[in-house]
Amino acid sequence: MKICAVLRVVPDLVEEIEIEETEIVPFAYIANERDEHAVEEALILKEKAGGSVDVLGVVDEDTASDVDEPLAMAYAKGADNLIKAILSRKTFRRYEVAKGLAEFLKDKGYDVIFTGIQAIDAFAGTLGGMLARCMNLPYIGGVVEVDVQNGTLVVKKELGGGLLGEYRVSTPAILGVVSAERPLKFVPFAKLKKAMKEANIDEVDIEVPEIEGIDVLRYYEPPKPEITLLEGDPEELAEKLVEVLKEVSVL
Amino acid sequence: MNVLVFAEVVENEIQEITYELVGKAKQLGDVTTLVVGNADVSNINSDVIQVDAGEPLPWHYKIVEKVFEKLKPSAILFGNTLTSIDIAAQFAAQLDLPMATMVTDISAKDDGFVATSLVYGGKVLVDLALKSPAVFVVNRGSFPAEEGKGSVGNVEKLSLEELGVSDGIEFVGYIKPEVEDVDISKMDIVVSVGRGIGDEANIELAEELAEVLGGVVAGSRPVIDSGWLPKTRQVGRSGKTVTGKLYLALGISGATEHVEGVKAKNVIAINIDRNAPIFRISRCGVVADVLELVPVLIEKIREAKG
Ligand SMILES: Cc1cc2nc3c(=O)[nH]c(=O)nc-3n(C[C@H](O)[C@H](O)[C@H](O)COP(=O)(O)OP(=O)(O)OC[C@H]3O[C@@H](n4cnc5c(N)ncnc54)[C@H](O)[C@@H]3O)c2cc1C
Ligand SMILES: Nc1ncnc2c1ncn2[C@@H]1O[C@H](COP(=O)(O)O)[C@@H](O)[C@H]1O
Repeated sequence: MKICAVLRVVPDLVEEIEIEETEIVPFAYIANERDEHAVEEALILKEKAGGSVDVLGVVDEDTASDVDEPLAMAYAKGADNLIKAILSRKTFRRYEVAKGLAEFLKDKGYDVIFTGIQAIDAFAGTLGGMLARCMNLPYIGGVVEVDVQNGTLVVKKELGGGLLGEYRVSTPAILGVVSAERPLKFVPFAKLKKAMKEANIDEVDIEVPEIEGIDVLRYYEPPKPEITLLEGDPEELAEKLVEVLKEVSVL
Repeated sequence: MNVLVFAEVVENEIQEITYELVGKAKQLGDVTTLVVGNADVSNINSDVIQVDAGEPLPWHYKIVEKVFEKLKPSAILFGNTLTSIDIAAQFAAQLDLPMATMVTDISAKDDGFVATSLVYGGKVLVDLALKSPAVFVVNRGSFPAEEGKGSVGNVEKLSLEELGVSDGIEFVGYIKPEVEDVDISKMDIVVSVGRGIGDEANIELAEELAEVLGGVVAGSRPVIDSGWLPKTRQVGRSGKTVTGKLYLALGISGATEHVEGVKAKNVIAINIDRNAPIFRISRCGVVADVLELVPVLIEKIREAKG
């Protein structure tokens, strides 16, 4: 099976992000968590069905090098080919990215393309579903498990509240992963370092079209909470918390 | 203007978020709600088009497309749920319509709309201008459900044959949640751990705290995904909703998908980041390192209990 997984970097929310009226300026980037799960599930499918996994790191000029380490990580875990897709411009619209990527992906012959679902910076679309329409392929998101039976994908999807649904999906298809079926494989630092040295990353340029219809007016901070936040040394805070626990009659 | 609402149906039942969407849509214009499946639609406070097509499936964007052609709505509202987002994204792309996700507010402006979205894990709001017709994927709990409830207007029933659509992905069946050791949604006191707990070994700390409080331990998605707690302990959109007396959040940021599952009467959050969105739903917020505070807190609680 020829498998592809889309991997991208997003602002690291553990670090500060600067909220400017017209853009979000992150301090650091990390791999999008859902994409890491998409890569993991791609590798799991390869274990189950054989074949190869290509990981497509999607970046723009500004984040082009931030994806090197996540790509090397995928390589260390067993990905076969690494490709860096450099978008011709930054955009917050998934639809524009989908159109650009579809053009690149259409003749690559992938049986399954994995994307993560709903990156933290998603507010104008969801890539998987849009890519599916641009490529005229079936799509299903919320995926937590993939098997193959008689050449057909058998997919488990989350429906919320702990409920899952099972679906049959013919290939080629696009699957939006929310979590891989097992925890992400741990890669020791030495192995990652080695992969960083060894891994060969191909680069392609992706022309992103400009489509009208939606614009950012402004970014801003949500209103501050109405409560007073408690701060201080642990001893003092613990005492205050005990009082609160009494107030709500837990103690 | 005409507004189309895509009903959220799970196991043949209309979900609460549908009424929230209908309520908001009524402020914008004349509403028709599209229901896939044969759920009871009598409480929907709008006209309804009901399509006999079993459970909603990702390819049902084709149904929305047909109904869109028929009604020519200016706005199409979906819930931000695992089912609807698959359909919304494909529908928007298929018809080249602008789409906003994670939406918490919508207003009509000039000949289009302004939508507000809550993004970056709940840390940023963004106002978007959209041309009409536009697609909105709305967060649960953004609008009151009452306004969307009432008695249904005109109900038109259609079949897939009449609409002339069919396609690929086949529904096999539901897989019910595993039988749990404890049902966190029914527990009065829940101590919940997030990624901020740092390490699997530290879960013990939360267990000890839960024990002195007479509660149980739950967690956010990353903790469950890492295999540190069983799936049945997940709080949030994909997991359970907690409704008890106390929810104590340790190192949880408060992403939308998480707080959707937090309906406890009192939320106490401990987080090292004073801008953590979890504080917005808390009765009491503590800016501290959980690993430093929790051991001391356990001691103090023991003392208080005597
Ligand atoms: C379709 C979909 C469904 C989802 N369903 C769910 C769901 O059901 N449940 C769910 O939880 N998530 C769900 N998510 C994921 C959700 O978007 C968030 O990624 C997740 O809730 C984040 O978990 P967290 O708060 O534990 O981790 P993070 O967001 O990483 O937050 C960790 C927090 O810990 C704090 N911290 C770090 N160290 C310390 C310390 N020493 N002391 C105190 N605080 C510390 C940090 O400041 C931070 O606020 C879903 C996502 C998608 C796309
Ligand atoms: N603007 C973008 N540029 C590149 N990749 C993206 C962009 N938006 C989303 N993706 C990727 O698309 C997948 C799904 O993201 P989302 O659109 O948030 O559901 C993830 O793999 C993202 O990392």
